[in-house]
Amino acid sequence: MADSQAGGSSRGERFFDAHQRATIEAAMARIIPADDQPGAREAGTVEFLDRYLSGLDFIYAKPDGSGFEKLEGKRAEAWQRRIAILRAKYVEGIKELDRTSQSRFGADFVRLTTEQQDRILAGTERPTLQAEAGLEEAQAVAGFAPVEPALQQTSTEIELDFFPLLALHTRQGFYADPIYGGNKDRVGWKLIGFQGPASLAETHAGRFTTLPFFAEQPIDWEEQKHYGAKA
Amino acid sequence: MAQKRKPERVDVAIIGAGASGATAAKVLTERGMRVVALERGPWRKRESFGGDELANVNRYNLWPDPILNPRTYRASTDAETKVEMFCPVPQMVGGGTVHWQGWLPRFTENDFKLRTIAGGLPGTTLVDWPISYPDLEPYYTKVEWAFGVSGAGGVNRYESFRSKDYPCPPLPPTRYSRKFYEGCRKLGYSCFPTPMAALSRPHNGRPATVQSAFAQQHGDPTGTRSSALSVWIPDALNTGRLDLRPDCYVHEITVDGQGRAKSAVYQDADGDFIDQEADIFILACGAIESARLLLLSRSPRFPSGLANGSDLVGRNATFHEYSAAIGVFDDPIYAWAGGGYVATSSYQFYEHDDQRGFVGGCHIASAGVGIPLPINWGVPDRPMWGLQAKQIDRDFYNHSFAIGMVVHDMPQHENRVELDDKVKDAWGLPVARITSKIHDNDLKMGRWVIDHNAEILEAAGAKKVYRVYPKRITGNCSHQHGTTRMGDDPNASVLNKWCQAHEIDNLFVVDGGPFPTGTGANPTLTIMANAWRVSDYIADRYDAERKPQ
Repeated sequence: MADSQAGGSSRGERFFDAHQRATIEAAMARIIPADDQPGAREAGTVEFLDRYLSGLDFIYAKPDGSGFEKLEGKRAEAWQRRIAILRAKYVEGIKELDRTSQSRFGADFVRLTTEQQDRILAGTERPTLQAEAGLEEAQAVAGFAPVEPALQQTSTEIELDFFPLLALHTRQGFYADPIYGGNKDRVGWKLIGFQGPASLAETHAGRFTTLPFFAEQPIDWEEQKHYGAKA
Repeated sequence: MAQKRKPERVDVAIIGAGASGATAAKVLTERGMRVVALERGPWRKRESFGGDELANVNRYNLWPDPILNPRTYRASTDAETKVEMFCPVPQMVGGGTVHWQGWLPRFTENDFKLRTIAGGLPGTTLVDWPISYPDLEPYYTKVEWAFGVSGAGGVNRYESFRSKDYPCPPLPPTRYSRKFYEGCRKLGYSCFPTPMAALSRPHNGRPATVQSAFAQQHGDPTGTRSSALSVWIPDALNTGRLDLRPDCYVHEITVDGQGRAKSAVYQDADGDFIDQEADIFILACGAIESARLLLLSRSPRFPSGLANGSDLVGRNATFHEYSAAIGVFDDPIYAWAGGGYVATSSYQFYEHDDQRGFVGGCHIASAGVGIPLPINWGVPDRPMWGLQAKQIDRDFYNHSFAIGMVVHDMPQHENRVELDDKVKDAWGLPVARITSKIHDNDLKMGRWVIDHNAEILEAAGAKKVYRVYPKRITGNCSHQHGTTRMGDDPNASVLNKWCQAHEIDNLFVVDGGPFPTGTGANPTLTIMANAWRVSDYIADRYDAERKPQ
């Protein structure tokens, strides 16, 4: 990777070279595998990530879906720093995946069987798990799988190790609005049964409503006044 | 330094245009005063908001960017300090109300005298408030009617006196709010429609809410949810007396020879420093940032920070910790409908009860599990990756909801906001360092309430229940209080009962900082009601003292 630290988007919408991209795509396909329903590969999560890392052109979609915001000033500086940190983590993480794959199975990660890939990824995940008191805490710290309905992000992605970072981005690419390049044909939303808007524009214009998914029966609040003993 | 012309002196300078600052701007300008509001963040219009979880929740579109605005945290006075985004709030015109879903319950009469009711609690600085529920009741009503809050008065058996019902009827029930209601009914608990800052019918020229799935943590592109941005700011601008200056970051409040507040020194979007003089200064930056600004404002007369002769600025900080029991059901719940927080609430566990073995209590309510997608959601036994993780997403997402609580954490002398001695923000100022050690009472309350929330889920027919107990205070609600506590004794408080600094009579704080205790309810309704009360006092006093007949 000669230009792994280069700024801007010299290669348009992409950051990874062909080998890096294939490696990440294969790993993502193990993080959310296909079964009778599509997984991360089919959702195009690698496209989502490659665009994200390509520079500052795909950070925020315009809220009406008409394109992407142009970042300026301190905000742009912060994102430049963040993207540079993330790129370095990916470049190093991919090298490490291949090093481990070579030493254990004699081939690059992308050439391994899916069972072998799972074993390599499990080994990559282990340090993160061991560093924490248990799965629950590791998930909370990793920030991508809070153990409760999260009210905010208390951890930041630039602090994550390679594997939790990859898992986070896979999840984001699988479920985020398709405008970011992943969630193709809304396969993520179909998997979980989220009846989302047809586009960001629908939400922006106030046409997207979830009222059909509210309760069918009303609640008689008058009657409820008689419940509960006064302390 | 400043090449620009020094701006004209005004009656009032408000620092921070969020929930409390915008309330003060509305009230004071409507009372005829000339106000400058200095907001460090941008002034975003509703057209700039959308339904995009990735941008709004994960990429700091609305949350502060931790690279620009970091904070540090330590779990006790002898623990290591770490860089951590502790208890952030959006920094922009409208503040946290820009992206909230807006649960607006009232406090109860006993919240203002918990020390008297529960007695002392070792290790805490529990006190009664210098004001009482009747002092705030008229202002609760004013805010509810200005915001068009949707709710039903008199349903909550633990509700204190109210002079007027809510202006809009409750929002229609969601499947998760109905399940919660059914569980409560079965157990004989009182429950009520969560009062919400969204319009169930047109109100003051604004249309009824559309019930998008993107509400909690998303800005509102439709103007049908009520916020400081959609209600107070337009009201204040309509008077022609508000000069709202976004992207203006106040670094210091200066004092004059008499020790009164003289000017707010701020850096504007061009990086120029400007000196804004005013007769009166109102801090409304949120409890963390208002304390930080006071501590940044050092002078020979106030060497340890402004209004800090008592050494209490920043101390007694309280932060609610959100936690939940999660239930999985056979039938679909669609807990993303309405954004996940069109809810039913209960105050069954709100009032203090000696039998429970801890002091205080808290509000509980039904809640969604995603924001709204499962990008930022999980359950304790879901692995990080692989087929099993996918299976849990598929099986649980549409079939689960949470019953949430906010830990009413107890005030402690050493739990505080200070200036960090190493980490600086992107403007070169020391960031806030938060010390927050969880009290045993908080842990006991958390366990007891989560266990009881789990019982409600079981009564509602859950086939599987997760109990997530709070273990430490992370500030995950954004609720923050106590850092400039109000009280009658200048040695035991920073502000008097009018939220006026004991040491500086033209300096007020109107965010959650004045709250002597955190209470167990979402604080913003009370913050706004209190800001209105204080603003009325300021306007009355200004009329009487500065403009004699």
